[in-house]
Amino acid sequence: MIFRAFLLNVNEANAYVIGCEHDREALLVDAGDFDGRIKDFLDEQRLKLAAIFLTHDHYDHTNGLDEAIAYSDAVVYGGHGQSGCSKSRPVEHDGIIRVGRLEGRVLATPGHTSDSLSLAFEGLVFTGDALFAGSVGGTASPRAAKQQIEHLRKHVLTLPDDYAVYPGHGPASTIAIERQYNPFFV
Amino acid sequence: MSSTFAQGDLCDEGGCLSPALTGERRCWAHLDDPAGFLRALHLGNAAGAWLAGIDLSGRDLRGANFSGARLSGANLSGADLRDADLTRCFLDFANLRGAILANANLELAVLGGADLASADFEGANLRRSNLVGAQGPRARFIRANLYYARPGNANFPDAVFDYACIERTIFRRANLAGASFTGAEGNANFENANLEGIRR
Repeated sequence: MIFRAFLLNVNEANAYVIGCEHDREALLVDAGDFDGRIKDFLDEQRLKLAAIFLTHDHYDHTNGLDEAIAYSDAVVYGGHGQSGCSKSRPVEHDGIIRVGRLEGRVLATPGHTSDSLSLAFEGLVFTGDALFAGSVGGTASPRAAKQQIEHLRKHVLTLPDDYAVYPGHGPASTIAIERQYNPFFV
Repeated sequence: MSSTFAQGDLCDEGGCLSPALTGERRCWAHLDDPAGFLRALHLGNAAGAWLAGIDLSGRDLRGANFSGARLSGANLSGADLRDADLTRCFLDFANLRGAILANANLELAVLGGADLASADFEGANLRRSNLVGAQGPRARFIRANLYYARPGNANFPDAVFDYACIERTIFRRANLAGASFTGAEGNANFENANLEGIRR
């Protein structure tokens, strides 16, 4: 697995590239920006950007989408309400996204938006703005907040302890840290 | 700010689910020659290496490059990590008791659940670091930069944050009893934190 995290200039959002070292295909997780560092990394690693996964449809996670599509002609995966571009392919909970020989499983984590999604690969999970290090995403109502906590408990915090957590903002974490110490769960 | 790593294979030892160390077929616990591994470890460029559980306690690691490395559960107690590059390094549940991290770069590092008792972070860059659930009684963060760091639910009784930058630092539900914040600057989030006996 090839992996790189990028701290973007757009609202301190994160973007991630995950690639298959065998087939040289890559997935971009969130596209708040599509700056030169991401393109350079893809070129350096001889990776073809085959797909883009949007955790949710907020500008700081989608602003660079048009540029990324123009650069790569990648397929865009996301929730039902996302992006609206012709390359969009809606995915749901338990859906599978393949990148070369890597296989990611879509996890429904609604609350921050009604169709927020997370994506788990072997050893790591991308959580967008649903789960942060020591926090959870902001929501519009107590009901949405409760829904988010329930889905995170059920689908994300049940992953193995040593899985890395890569959120939409801020530092990485692990499932063990979040399950044992996140103030919203303990 | 970006980082790269390639995930390693699992340990060869039957039934072991731990990842193998970089360049090895086994994890630290099942390594045949740990002393030989440490002798061969190139500290100047251990960036992105998988070193989970490794024992580097008491070692002179000044200026070492562990950026993006996986040091989860490692024993670094009493180690000298002054000026080390630990950006985006995973130090979750590591033992850093009494370690010296003065002027180290820990931006976006993961220190959640780590033992930081009496560790010295004077002048360190801890911007956007993960300190969730860290255990750091008497840890020293004098003049450290904790911009947007996340010490939620951390245990920092009698820790010293004098002259530190705590802008946007999230101390949600942290235990800061007896901690000192003399000259600390910035607007931090102290929601439900224990501030009993803190000094400003």
